[in-house]
Amino acid sequence: MIIIMKAGSSGHDIDEVCRRVTEMGFRTHLSRGEVRTIIGVIGDDRAKEQLFALQSVASVEGVVRVLQPFKLASREAHPDNTRFTVHGVPIGGKQIVVMAGPCSVESRSQLTEVAERVKAAGAQILRGGAFKPRTSPYAFQGLEEEGLALLSDTSKATGLPVVTEVMEPDKVDLVARHADILQIGARNIQNFSLLKRVAECGKPVLLKRGMSTSIQEWLLSAEYVISGGNPNVILCERGIRTFETATRYTLDLNAVPVVKKLSHLPVMVDPSHGTGHWEYVSAMAKAGLAAGADGVIIEVHNKPEEALSDGPQSLKPDRFAKLMDELRPLAQVLGRSL
Amino acid sequence: VIIVLKSGVTEADVEAVCRRITEMGYHPHTIRGEFKTVIGAVGEERGQPDLRILEAMETVEAVMPIQQPFKLASKEIRPTPSEVRVNGVVIGGPEVVVMAGPCSVESEPQMIEVAGAVKAAGARILRGGAYKPRTSPYAFQGLKEQGLKFLAEARKRTGLPVVTEVLETESVELVAEYADILQIGARNVQNFTLLRRVGQMGKPVLLKRGMATSLTEFLLSAEYILAAGNPNVILCERGIRTFETSTRFTLDLNAVPVLKKLCHLPVVVDPSHGTGRWDLVTPMAKAAVACGADGLIIEVHPRPEEALSDGPQSLKPSTFAQLMKELRPVVEAVGRTM
Repeated sequence: MIIIMKAGSSGHDIDEVCRRVTEMGFRTHLSRGEVRTIIGVIGDDRAKEQLFALQSVASVEGVVRVLQPFKLASREAHPDNTRFTVHGVPIGGKQIVVMAGPCSVESRSQLTEVAERVKAAGAQILRGGAFKPRTSPYAFQGLEEEGLALLSDTSKATGLPVVTEVMEPDKVDLVARHADILQIGARNIQNFSLLKRVAECGKPVLLKRGMSTSIQEWLLSAEYVISGGNPNVILCERGIRTFETATRYTLDLNAVPVVKKLSHLPVMVDPSHGTGHWEYVSAMAKAGLAAGADGVIIEVHNKPEEALSDGPQSLKPDRFAKLMDELRPLAQVLGRSL
Repeated sequence: VIIVLKSGVTEADVEAVCRRITEMGYHPHTIRGEFKTVIGAVGEERGQPDLRILEAMETVEAVMPIQQPFKLASKEIRPTPSEVRVNGVVIGGPEVVVMAGPCSVESEPQMIEVAGAVKAAGARILRGGAYKPRTSPYAFQGLKEQGLKFLAEARKRTGLPVVTEVLETESVELVAEYADILQIGARNVQNFTLLRRVGQMGKPVLLKRGMATSLTEFLLSAEYILAAGNPNVILCERGIRTFETSTRFTLDLNAVPVLKKLCHLPVVVDPSHGTGRWDLVTPMAKAAVACGADGLIIEVHPRPEEALSDGPQSLKPSTFAQLMKELRPVVEAVGRTM
């Protein structure tokens, strides 16, 4: 960290700040400029958050971070890409992973039909929500435990591993009995007790970026899971809130190469939520891969016009199969496989 | 336009609104629901009195436009994509057109060097700013007419058509003497006098989206140019302002398929401004092509560390050549040529 002193600070002011820094257990390195003095702070990084308190000292103009605040999630700490497998499906390697399925699990017949179709088209992991965080309390809230059982059954029947959302710490064990990957949804990105709980659980975690989460905050949320003992974190960009209303969210694909540079974790893109319109999903899925994503997660429904949630952004199985056909040659020229 | 009336309005109130709609030149069509009455106003809206004025009536709850407010830019008027031709280069056809060059024209040798390098790598159009809209009044403001002359010299030597920005109505004629495409920068997207003026010129216009311009507003700015008689408009997505600060702007690639759906104009993407970081330009250039962009505009400088503007986002000629090499297979994978 660097502490910038106000212009015209006296020698006494500077000594006073250095004394406080030393008291906190760090070493100081002074550099006096023509107009300003800056104090470099040397010592263990993770304890440095407390230095921000010095911003309240009258002679201090600012406290500036030099290193990223996350550690275990950073590429500095772990230069090689994180790779792991979920029931034989490799994540974070050369192979692009495609997760697909309905927004909500609605019935056995719906889930079975969608699962078979997405599997036939080449999806490797089945998605489907049993616990649904809906904006309106009057909207369909999910089939809950019954939905989880349907996911388990369908997973057994098709061989596709399952990713599904968990919303509360006391449901983690229940969801983990049925799911192969636990999804933390955008709205829970800073639900820290939930993050700690899924860390203890040990199952791979798909961590969606919140709609107003900065990349740094997102990686700090990942740090909660990793520092809790669970290294198998998959990040997912799913669109942020901006002034633009032509799309449901603004898919921030800049985040893909940015996160790839900062972190070793696999990154996926969700073009369904990121656009909110099925017509834009294929274009943005391709863009996601081209930007360097390790996979995509796509909403597919056998009858989008009857879906209990997210119908407008869901692809029909035929269209999903066509998208897969378009993604394959693209993955290949990007040096990936699908 | 749909006019929603407040709950509990009387028959006389409904009639009063209908009368007003008729007076404004539209046909009212009343739908009585259980709780609310809505009135559809039927008729061509563009160029006619704006029905949103009805929100001023006490009995009206909301006026909701259903038609897009732009006309000449819309797919309704022209369902097939329009092509803009610049000295033999076609923008909006099967070929993905790459425009490249320095942010600012700095000297004749710099322009000649960059122009030769980007041409050799496959760029089809040369960019370079002679009039620079700089955030700080103390920053380099461009070489002005001298810069235009250097651009013309670089064009003469390489044969590359030139795109350069025009900042004010008074310099439009001068800039047009030297430029093949007039660029309207992000900060001037709603400088309506300037838009009308370049509309009268007839030269192709590269219209950059403003950093807080919605897509509807963007297309209405294009409409100004089209309505003034100039059909040669190229749209450019260059990043919008969001809460995320790890990149200079947030490149809104959703805009590409959305614009392609709403309008017939060619769309190009500027990954240099859209990220602000040279190390993110290549992945985002690929992502732009993957989601359907008709071209790219990329900042290239022989010595970015000495650039008078935008050095951090400028590619070295060798990096640009590498980008072009990596881009070609992506272009082909999405069925385009380069």
